[in-house]
This record gives sequence, C-alpha cells and structure tokens, in this order.
Amino acid sequence: MSAAGDERVSRRRRWRGLDNPYAFLLPAVLIFGMFALYPILRSLFLSFFQYEFLRPEDLHWVGWANYGEIFRDERVTGWPGIVTPEQPLSVWEVLCYPLLVVWLSINSPGGAFWNTIRFTVMYVPAAILLPLLLAVLVERAGRLSTLFRTLNFIPIVVSVAVVSIIWMWIYHPEYGVINTLLRGFVGEKADYTWLSDSKLAMPAIAAMAVWHGLGFNMLLYLVGLQRIPSELAEAARVDGASGWKAFRFVTLPLLKPTMFLVGLLATIGALKVFGQMFIMTQGGPGDSTLSIVLYLYNVAFRYGKFRFGYASALAWALAAFIFLVTLVAFRLTRERER
Amino acid sequence: MRLDRLRRYGNTAALYLVLAGISVVSVLPFVWIILSSFKPHEELYSKELTFLPHHYTWANYSTMFERMVGFDYYYRNSILVSFGTVILTLFAGSLAAYALARFRFKGDQAVFVVFLATIMVPGEVGLIGQYELLSTYGLLNTLTGLTLSYTAFNLALTIFIMRSVFATVPQELLDAARVDGCSWWETFWQVMIPMGASGLAAAGTLVFLNAWNEFIFALTMNNWTDEARTLTVGIQLLQGQWQHWDYGVLFSSVMLSFLPVIILFLLLQKTFMRGLTAGAVKG
Repeated sequence: MSAAGDERVSRRRRWRGLDNPYAFLLPAVLIFGMFALYPILRSLFLSFFQYEFLRPEDLHWVGWANYGEIFRDERVTGWPGIVTPEQPLSVWEVLCYPLLVVWLSINSPGGAFWNTIRFTVMYVPAAILLPLLLAVLVERAGRLSTLFRTLNFIPIVVSVAVVSIIWMWIYHPEYGVINTLLRGFVGEKADYTWLSDSKLAMPAIAAMAVWHGLGFNMLLYLVGLQRIPSELAEAARVDGASGWKAFRFVTLPLLKPTMFLVGLLATIGALKVFGQMFIMTQGGPGDSTLSIVLYLYNVAFRYGKFRFGYASALAWALAAFIFLVTLVAFRLTRERER
Repeated sequence: MRLDRLRRYGNTAALYLVLAGISVVSVLPFVWIILSSFKPHEELYSKELTFLPHHYTWANYSTMFERMVGFDYYYRNSILVSFGTVILTLFAGSLAAYALARFRFKGDQAVFVVFLATIMVPGEVGLIGQYELLSTYGLLNTLTGLTLSYTAFNLALTIFIMRSVFATVPQELLDAARVDGCSWWETFWQVMIPMGASGLAAAGTLVFLNAWNEFIFALTMNNWTDEARTLTVGIQLLQGQWQHWDYGVLFSSVMLSFLPVIILFLLLQKTFMRGLTAGAVKG
C-alpha cells in the first residue's frame, strides 16, 4: 500500500471508537429497549400486581390472581363462565374439545373470549379460501393480471379505521348500499340493522374483514404460485390431466405452505381484532361484538378505574393463547408432512 | 379445431368477467365515497340510491375546510409521525442490521434472538407499559412519544428484513472499500446503503403503512387534544360528530384521508408489495 493510503487510514483511526459493531447497534438497542422491550416486560410485571393507574400508591403483589380472575370474569368467558372440571378430563372429552369450541362459537355464550373465537371461526376459512381462488384466477389473466392484482390490493393500504367508517355507511339501515340493493329484491322488508343486531353484527364485521384482507392474502398466494415451476403443471397437462386435476393434484399440494402461512397470519390477526369493533359497534349491541383486545382496552382506559394490573394479565393471557395456537399449528402441519 | 378455439375464448371471457366482478367489489366502496363526497346533501339522504352524482357540488369540501374541527392537525400529525418513524426506523434499523449481518461480536446472537422474539409478541401486550412509560416522561399526547413507540415496535421487523438484504452484499465490495481506506461507518454509507436501496425502500413502505394506519396506540397515547391526534383517531372522532348531521362532510374528509395512500401505492406498487410480503414472512 502506498504511503498516502497509510496516512489516510491513520487519519481515520480517530474514529475507531465509533467504528465498531456495538456503536452501530446502539441507537436501535436504545430505542427498542426503552420503548418496546421495557413496556412489554413492564406489562408482564404488572400482571402479577393489583394496580390501578390512578392509585399508584396501592401497588401490591397478588400472584396469579389477575389471571385467575380472567376465568371467572363473565365478560370474558360468557355467562355463567366456563365450568372448570373437578377431575382430569377423559380422553373422549379431550377429543371432543375441538367440537366443543365449534359448538360454543356458534352457540356462543357471549363474553369477550368466545366472541373473539366466533370472529376467528367466521373470518379465517374465508380468508384462506377466497384469496386462493382470486390468486389462481389472477395468475391466469395473462397481460391483465397486473391490473387485477393492483385493484384488489387497494383496500389493504387503507387503514382499518377508515375502512370501518366506510363500511358503517355501507351497512347503514336506511341509506346504506346493502339495504338499498336488498330492497330491490325483497322490497321494503329489507330494513336490516346490520351493526345494531346482536346476531348480524359479528358476521357483518367479519365479512368486512375478509374484504379488507383479500388483496394481501392474494399477494401471498401469488408469491407462492410463482415459486411453483410452471413445467410441473405443463407436465401434468401433457399426461392428460384436465385444468382442474392439474390444480388439485399439482398446484394445491405445493401451495400448502402458503396456505399455512395465510391461515396462521389470519388467525393471529383475528385473535387480536380491535379497531373494527371499537369503531363500528363499541362492542355492542350488548356485549355481542366485544373482543378480547377491546375488553382489555376498556378495562385499562374506559371503565374509569384504570385497572392496569388486570388489563396486563388479559394482554399476556392473549399473547400466551396466540403463542399456543401457533405452536399447535406448527406441530400439526409438521406431523402431517412426515 | 375451431370449436376448441371458441371454447378457449369463452373461458378467457368468463375469467375476465369474474375477475372484473371481484375487482369492482374491492374498489367500489372507495369510488363510491369519492363520488358521494361531491353529492349535495339531499341526494345523499334520499331513499333512491345514486351512483354518479346528479349534481356535482364542492359544498361538502368547503364546509369541511371552513369548520376543519381539527382535521388539519390530524393530517399534519399523521404526516410528521409517519415520516419521522420511517426515517428513524430505517436509520437505526439498518445500522443495527449491518452490525448483525456483517460482524461477529460477543452477544450478537443474543441481540438478534431478543429482536426476533419480540416480533412474535403482539404489540398490544406493550400497550399498558407504554402508556405508563410515556406518562412518566411527559410524552403522552406528543408526536415525539408516538414516533418513538412506533419506531420501537417497527425496529425488529426492519432489522430482520435488512439483515437478510445486507447479508447478500458480496464480501468483495466490502473488502474493496476497506482497501480504499474506508472506515466501517463509511462502508455502511457508501456500499451497504446503495446496495440495499431496494430493500430499504420496501422496508420503508412497510413501516410507513404501519405508522400511517396504526390505530390502538394512537388512540391510547394521543387522544386528549386535537393537536396530538393522528388521522386514524381523528377520523373516527369526526365520524362520531358528523354521521348524525352530515354524511357528505364526513365523506369528503374520509376521502382526503385515504386518497394520498392509494395514490402513493399506485405510484410505488412494486415496492409496496415487496415490503408487505417481506413483513408477512416474519411469522
């Protein structure tokens, strides 16, 4: 190396202190540690305490009591609350559990937990299947596929808040589009009060959510479809498979990982649902659309007592539940692949 | 042979018809809001449904700009917070990603695992701790507070994306910069940033969308004064005020709040889609 080069290097030695990986990490670690990691851990800490934000002097350890309260809280588990069994469950009862969940989510006893499950059960299957259909169609549209992809993607760049407001107007009983269209078919009988009917409110919100997420899930499928080598489908066609058969036996099995991803993301999103309910129904009518996050928000900030301890426990219980669902989902798919 | 071709044309036509139908459903609500914001009061409140306005009017917009009711603040705040978050997140995030992708040092695995672990934790879990923290430091209802918390909650994902982008930069380029006498810091600006530009753009749009559309944190932290509210929270408030006496004015403000994002998306489609898919693979 030339002398000039050496000199330049030594001039830069002064910056050596800043010139190491720890310095590069510093800004991110500071901001992240203070405004993400600390709040998350603080919530975990608070969930074991009796703590109301307006009365900070009354902070005392209660152990698992906040978590215990969740199971006894009628507004979470629905009236009269889940009956906890006396002795360990039999194999049959454990096997029937998925059926029980489906049954309970249809004949929901109410309560934030069951409402959230009900929303998830309505939302997730549609969020897996409709975008798949759309993606397959878009893929075949040739030159126009970009256009269709773009158009269907538009809703997801708009916020839940704005979309909810638009759909409140669509669902409006008098001036709303849906009722006006329905009046064309069934006459004046079509005066459905979509969002203030305890039976219709949740499906109405779920339908909107499916519409909102359509483009995003379609995109995930399109990415998945692109990964499939086109020779495979062609080979199937040469072997005499019809378009449907090629899709069913070649494309679909190869899309399974994508379907899993879409389903998992949809489930996680559905379990955390908040904005739609907050804006469109405030959890009503009655408590029929009260979701877990909406309830914990209300416990913390709306019901007046600012019960941060209990609200933190609700948040962490939800996180644990989501984690459990994710874990089970991964386990199940891995076993099937074996 | 002719029949075969005919059938194929028929299939294609059916395909386009179905796709057009679905696309119309996706886009129609927005088009309708835009058109409705130009309809006069009487037309909106008539039982007869109109798609195209019979009479175009600017009345809704002029009413909105006269009364404003904080809309100008909401708009300004959303822009400041979103762009602030994007700049801060990209800066801190890509610097950290550079360190994690290109250096071996004590604790590098641990740092990365902690970042990765928080991607899995739903942000709602931090809500209560965040509120308490910001209130302790007087950052509630400030744009700084909201920007910092958005940055913190978008950092892990940005680092995750940028780390894999930076990992693909060929080592020879770094060595060449080193031979030229560049410090690591200069290498970052002169090699990594230009090489990772498209990754940065994708991450940037993802963070921008997250910040612009975020609702629950904004609602919790910045909801006391109009000076602090962002669009998502503000528009929800306006909806409460306006839905009872004037849908037209509500439509004009709703339309102004979604139009910029849609236009931005139409201009930067590829980047948006790359950013959003990169964000999805986090799971």
